[in-house]
Parts: sequence; C-alpha cells; structure tokens
Amino acid sequence: MKSALIPKENVITLLDGLSQKMEVIAPVMHEGEPLFTTWRGQEIALDAENPILSPIEFFLPQREVLFRYSRKEVGYSFEEGSVNPRLIFGMRPCDMRAIQVLDKIFESGPSDHLYSERRKSTIIAVLNCASPGEDCYCAQLKSGPACIEGYDLLLTDVSDDAKSPSKAIQSAYLVEAGSSAGESILEEYSDLFKEALPSHFEEKNKRMELAKKVVLGSRPAPSLSQVREAFAKMRWEDLGRLCLRCGGCTFVCPTCHCFNIVDQGIPDGERLRCGDSCLLSGFSRMTSGANPRPSQGDRLRHWYLHKFEYLPERLDVVGCVGCGRCQRVCLAEIDRWKLLEEMVQ
Amino acid sequence: LEKIHTTCVYCGCGCGLFLHVENGRVTGVSSSPAHPLSRGRLCIKGWQSSEFIHHPDRLKTPLIRQSEQQVAATWEAALNFTSKRLGEIQDQYGPKSLAVLTSAKGTNEENYLLMKFARAALGTNNVDHVARLCHAPSIAGLGASVGSGAMTNPISNLASSDVILVVGSNTTEQHPLVASYILKAKSKGSLLIVADPRNTQIADLADIHLNPNLGADVAWLNGMLNVIIQEKLIDLEFISKRTRGFDDVKKTVSEYTPEIVEKISGLPAEMIQKAAIAFGSAKRGSIVYAMGITQSTAGTDNVLALTNLALATGNIGREGTGIYPLRGHQNVQGACDVGALPAFYTGYQKVSEYREKFEEAWGAGLPGDPGMTAMEIMDAAADGQIRGIYISGENPMMSYPDRNRIRSALESLDFLAVADIFPSETTELADVVFPVASFAEKDGTFTSTERRVQRICKVIAPLFDCRSEVEVICDLSTRLGFEMSYGSPKEIMDEIASLTPSYGGISYDRLGLGGIQWPCPEKDHPGTEILHVDTFPIGTAVFHPVEYKGPHEVCDQEYPMLLTTGRSLFHFHTGTMTRKTPLLDREVPSPEIEINSEDAKRLEIRNGWPVVVESRRGSLRIRAKISDAVPPGIVFIPFHFKEAPANVLTGQAVDPKSGIPALKLSAVRIRRADA
Repeated sequence: MKSALIPKENVITLLDGLSQKMEVIAPVMHEGEPLFTTWRGQEIALDAENPILSPIEFFLPQREVLFRYSRKEVGYSFEEGSVNPRLIFGMRPCDMRAIQVLDKIFESGPSDHLYSERRKSTIIAVLNCASPGEDCYCAQLKSGPACIEGYDLLLTDVSDDAKSPSKAIQSAYLVEAGSSAGESILEEYSDLFKEALPSHFEEKNKRMELAKKVVLGSRPAPSLSQVREAFAKMRWEDLGRLCLRCGGCTFVCPTCHCFNIVDQGIPDGERLRCGDSCLLSGFSRMTSGANPRPSQGDRLRHWYLHKFEYLPERLDVVGCVGCGRCQRVCLAEIDRWKLLEEMVQ
Repeated sequence: LEKIHTTCVYCGCGCGLFLHVENGRVTGVSSSPAHPLSRGRLCIKGWQSSEFIHHPDRLKTPLIRQSEQQVAATWEAALNFTSKRLGEIQDQYGPKSLAVLTSAKGTNEENYLLMKFARAALGTNNVDHVARLCHAPSIAGLGASVGSGAMTNPISNLASSDVILVVGSNTTEQHPLVASYILKAKSKGSLLIVADPRNTQIADLADIHLNPNLGADVAWLNGMLNVIIQEKLIDLEFISKRTRGFDDVKKTVSEYTPEIVEKISGLPAEMIQKAAIAFGSAKRGSIVYAMGITQSTAGTDNVLALTNLALATGNIGREGTGIYPLRGHQNVQGACDVGALPAFYTGYQKVSEYREKFEEAWGAGLPGDPGMTAMEIMDAAADGQIRGIYISGENPMMSYPDRNRIRSALESLDFLAVADIFPSETTELADVVFPVASFAEKDGTFTSTERRVQRICKVIAPLFDCRSEVEVICDLSTRLGFEMSYGSPKEIMDEIASLTPSYGGISYDRLGLGGIQWPCPEKDHPGTEILHVDTFPIGTAVFHPVEYKGPHEVCDQEYPMLLTTGRSLFHFHTGTMTRKTPLLDREVPSPEIEINSEDAKRLEIRNGWPVVVESRRGSLRIRAKISDAVPPGIVFIPFHFKEAPANVLTGQAVDPKSGIPALKLSAVRIRRADA
C-alpha cells in the first residue's frame, strides 16, 4: 500500500478538497471540548483528547429514521432515508477497533442495511495516538495506541521534536493507505504530499512504542482469563447499589450497539431506531413483568460479561476497546480499573 | 451534523449538554466535559433529553374552543380572541379577576415578560408559578433567617463536606448530579445522614438512615439541635458574631428531649443523639433538602428548623458547608428570581417597596395590592373572583393538589388560555391553546438550583406552527394596549439586569459555557460561588424558634394509612415530556402504588394486583407494587401518571406562612379492587 508525508499546513487544503465531494467529519473544538462534527473549515483538534462521543455515531446514530410511512387509499407507502458519502478524519485506533467489532455484529448475515450502507460510503482516516489520555487502556486490550488494520488512511504525527538539533524542523504526518479508497486520495492529491522516507517509519514506530509503554505503565494488563476470574468474584450487588442508573457508559461505549425500535405517528409517521441501554430494567423486562436481570447488579454484570465473555465466545473479539469513556461519564464515578485491580490482586 | 451547547431542561441541577442537529432535526445528545457542574456526566433523563422534541403529539397549531371542541386556528385569530376576552374580563370585573401562572420550565426571559404582562398589561399582581408547590417555604424561611432563599454554596462544595444531612430528598433519583457529589464525598470518608420515611437509594447508602413519621420534622430537628446544644457542639463564636435570637431557640428546643421526640417522630432516642452528635461534630457540615421538607403545612417551620441547625453549628458561609434547597425544575430558581411571584418583582424586590421603581422603568401604572398565590388563585377561580387565567407550560390538573377541585376551578373560569408544547390535561380545558417552542427552539437563560445563570440555545427553528413564548406575550401585551417589543431575548436579559441588583452584571456575552452564579451586581463581577461569607444580606442572621404542631391530617379508623407522593428517576413531573421519550416510558410504563409487605399481607394484596385508594378528596385505581422501600402504614404514589393521578387524593391544606400545599401527607384507605 502507498504511503506519503503530509505537511501539517496542507491538511486543511486536503480536507477542503475532499469536502467538495463528501461530508467531512472531524474533531473540532466546541466550547473548549473536542467533538466530532461536520467540518466547515475550522481548526481541527487533532491534539486534543479523544472526544467524549465516539464517531461510531456516524454509523449507528443515537436516533435515526429507518423509514417514513404514510397511509394511502390502499395500504401504506414507505420512504427510506438516503446515506451520504462521508470522510471521518481523526478517528482514534480504539474507535477503529470498535468499528471492527460492530462489523462482525452488523455485517455477518443478514447484514444491517443502513449500517452497511454507511460503512460502504464512509472513508475513515485514523490518527495514531502519540499521547494517550489518562483514562485510556487501549494497549492492555491491544486496540491501540497504534492502529493495525481497518483504516482507509492512517496518520501518525512524525513532527520533529523542537529540541532535536540534528534536523531541520518539520511538522508533518506520515500517511499510510490501508485500502484502495485511501490510495486514490494519496494519488488524487499527490501535490499536497511528500515522499515518506524510512526514517519517518522509524520515527512512527519509536513514538508508538513509547505511547504503548505509557499506557501499559499506567494500569495493569490482566489477561482475559484473569478478567473473567475477577468478574466471577465481583460483588455485583454492591456495585449495583452505587450505580446511579444514568446509562451513560452504554451511551458512550463505542461497541455498545443495542437499539430500540419505535413507531411514532398514526396514521402517518416514522419508524425510529434509538440507542438502547441494557442497564435499564425495561431492556430485559418481559411483557409479563418478569425480569431475568431484576437488579442493577445483575444488569451491570451482564454489561461486563457481554464485552468480556459473550462477544469473545461468539465472535472471537473482545467487546471493550479500552477507550476509557465509560469511566469519564460514570455519574457514580465508579472507578472500574481500581475495582478490577483489587479483584485481580 | 452540528453540536450546540445548551442547558438540560429537566431538574434544577443545570447540567451542560450538547444537542446534535442534522438537517433541521435534533438527533442526539452528548455530555459536556468542560461544564463546571456536570463535567461530562448526565443522568438518564439528560441523555434522553432530546427525544421528545420531534414527537408527533406536539401541539402544532393554535386551538380555539368552539363549544365542546378545540379547533385549529391561525395565530392572528388566537391572539385576537385571547386579548379580546382578557380585555373584556378586565373591563367587566376589574384587573384582579385575572391571573397568570408562569412556568418554571420557561426561560428567565419568558417568566420576566409574563410577570411584566400580568402587572403592566393586565394590571394584577396575581402572578405565581409552581415554586408555590415546591420552594415557597425556602423563600419564606431562608429569606427570614439568612436573607436569601437560594442555595448557599455551589453543588460541587458537597464533595468537601465532612457530614452531609439529606432531609426529604430522593437525591439519587431527583437530582442525580447532586447525588454524584454526595457519593464523591462519601467515597472520601464523609458521613452521610439521610432522613426519609422511604428507603430510597440514597437512604440505603447512608451511614445513618432516619425514618421519622410523616409530618414530624420540626420535632426531630429541634431534638437534634437540643442534643447539639447539650453536647456543647455549637459554634459560639459564629452565634455571637453573626446571628441573633439564639437564646429563644435554645429555650424552645430544650423541651425537645430525645425521649419526647421519640414519641412524636418514632425515631429511637439514641438515633437522634447519634445523628445530632455526628452533625454537630462536623468541621464542615451541609444540609440538603427538598420536597420532603417543604410540601407540608409546616413547610416554612421545617426550613427554619434546618436553618437553626446550620446557624447554631456555624455551618454557613464557608466551603463545604451550607444549606442546599434542591429545586426540582431547571428554572424554578430563575422564575422566582425574575419576579414570577405575587409579592415580588425581580430579585425579590417587594411590590410594597419597589412599585415606583418599576412603574418608572416600564412606563406604566402598576397595582399595589398584594396578588394571590397559585393556590389562592385556584380557590378564587372556584369562588368566581378570578374569571380569566393565562397558564404558561404548567399542568395544574396533574401537579396541584385535590385534582377534582382544580378541575372545577378551571372549568368555572370565563376564559382560560394555555401555552404548552404538548397537549395536557390542562390544555384540554382551555379556550385557547398556544403551541410554543421547546427548549431546543428558543434562546434564553435558565438559572439552576445553585444560582447559575446559563444560556440555552435555539438549535432548530420552532417546529410546526409553534412560536417562542416571548413573541406570544409581546403580541398579547401590545394588543391589550401595553406595547412590548424586543429584538431578541438578549435585550430582555439586559432589561432584567438593569432592574435587578443580583443580576446587574449578567448579559449574554458574559455567559460562557459555565454561566455565572448570582449575585453578580456589576459587569466586571465574576459572580458569587458562596453566599453569606462575611455578612448576610440582612446583616446578621436570625434564629426563629419553631414548635412542632402536628400534621394537618392524621390516620383514623376510616382512613388508616398515610399516602406520600413524589417522582421517579425516569419521569419528570406530569410526564408530558418523559412519557413521550421511548426509553423512559418503557422503564416505568405505568403507575404503581408502593405498599409494604406487612400491609399487603393484611389487606390480602399481591404484587401487581389492582387496588383502590381513597382519601377524603377522591379515589383512584392503581396496581400494587409490594416494596419494603416504604415502611408499614405508609404508601407512595408517583404523580406522573394521568391513568392514576396521585393528586386526586391529596388535599388543599397549606402552610400558612408560604401557601405551599401539604402534598406529602394524606390519610387514605386501600382495598383490593375486587373487594
């Protein structure tokens, strides 16, 4: 696959060009926060921490209209929404891994039509994480800080350290293509790129090794079997007593994909798909009122087991990518890693 | 896809959030990590707060009643008809026959305009809102004792309290963000005391859970203060330098020995002693309270008893201390601040003292006689003294006590206009219904329970044929001969600031992501985190001795059980928004009465069975939920559900000092529906 070097000052020009053809989504600062939104020429917050909501929302929106229905003289007519081409620029390796998890769920037949359409019409440019956030534990789960696969383009900041006296200061990303869509961008905008040299790859490897060490150094790396043993010992009911039932962890988790379908409007209206949460009792409650997961502790246990037991068993993939978002939004501020560390010890 | 920062529309916490907008539709919510209170966290209602916006049940066009039916009308027709009818009533019966109920769900700007409309255009001080049903006793009690009815410290201060006393607040469900700071304190080793007859989640997490009898709060709070005095845990320096009247209170509470209090409250004497010593020993103690304290015929006395406790222990004016009245609506604080109250203009400036100031500012003659409170307005409507009411975004048919009386009061009006986003049990009774913009469709400000004035942003244009209520009020007022016209809500805030010392320095360009906490008197003033640091607005704080008077209604042979009402985590108030939010409505889809297993056994009721609940006011049918979260003898019904409106059962008894109805206590009887 092709690779090249893009000087940082050319990134905006590149996105300008691409935004003529597709919607460009990128992390942009809003009120002091990086958020993935439609890029309209703003400065891109590639050095900020990973946004609180992952770009998974562009494949599985929180709320989407599956179709509109309207009553005709005979029967109903239906109108489906259309999917537009998009580029997601600056997705992190952990979120890329989450998409690979979701692909296994939504694209193994029968595939989910809207998800598949969005996947096909979206180009993903991943940014390797040179300075991971304090809640990150991607390296423990082997989903970062360097991205290995799945991307169309992969960017790594290989800018010179200003302190390094040996070379002229350069400020650039190493760009590697991972697909034909990625390659064709490198070709089409070749005037914005320079040649990537072996030293750039060396620099990339050096930095990613360092970042990995930082992440691994900040928290232990229990094996999957240790995690499972820990869960078997976990006092879920105690955790359930503390949980404030906000559902936040499920709403920000990039691999959480459960949804609810509702029809709104009679006789004309919309069939909606809305993000759901297994931490709500209504998620597992049956019509009779019986609930196989009656307590909050049961539901928390289910959430963890889904990620660390059921998905590995069924799809050979761990359902946690180590992005740390569940920690960042937990209303009860339950320190998940501390819990696990205590258990593993 | 755009993401625009705004403020949550549900409870008084005032969390920051982003609304996501794509092609003119609100498609989602994300939390706001930089927000000073919520720090990237939201409760379940916050995460779901965009879901009702595009619901097809939204009111879409103005409606005018034609005999039995409400018929779609143009704005022109609805406004003309409303101003004509209000004008006719004003001419025929005088301005005092009109009233306005504003909305704690509305913005500061809307509330300000509505109270200005009531006073300057209609000529009446009959303006009030749901604060009368929630924190009127805080305004009365805290106002008299410390000079301000507001929360004294920012919510985040709770994390640095040593001892937190939570009274009558289901904090984890009703103010989850406040609960998160309490849990934070607890995880650092602070002691948590919770007083609630129900075993709520926060009571379950408490180090000391007190479950006093309903209506016994003054007694056990006096008892606690008595123990604190006996144990010499009072702050003598604070008492002598910053307060007056302590000796009277000392004398009064000396009668409330733990043994006497045990008889009244049912709390074991040693529990009272333990809680009192714990609170009295705190270096930094905080008091958190909500409707369990206020919605009582002793509401103001309860607040005063709590304040006495804070003052005697010097727990005010410092970080980690303070009194935290938790406001239920996201803007009930603001609606009070901007004068949607019968006796006050903005910033609690008394009508009796500041009339000339407002007459001059508004260029209109203003009424001088005190207006009626919300409950008095309903009484007067039933008696025929009030003939016309404009209600903004309130649903008294569900939220006010004694629903049958409220219905007959509203039905006996000559004219009722209601502005709302969804049809409600109250819009059904209206002669004119105005469809107005939701929080996503308008600009303005909300003031949270910690006095934080924050922006809300118009992220989409008003849906359907809805209009912002600012426009509606201006149009009505102008038609009634008092011209109102503003370029934008920003200009309204500038007017509020010019008339209100505590909001004097507030303007939209200064309100960033975290807003400003009032008092903010000057343009360069940073706002005030902690009140009463060096002095009180009234100079020295005043102790008010309060005596236990007993509840207004007691159990007897006919009605042997007590009903208390409240809310669920997953619904808000009368359910107009949360019941149209699929996940929330699925979570708690129907009303249930919580009943203790002992009572259930005695009454031969099984879980899920329908029961009939009767009080002296009315009766309803509801499913039983057997739960030991309520003690024997007490039952609980959330008031969200029109299928079993709890307020059919509640009564009109009010606290004489604040006019709040005693919603938390009603004598009832229960039987199996087939019995």
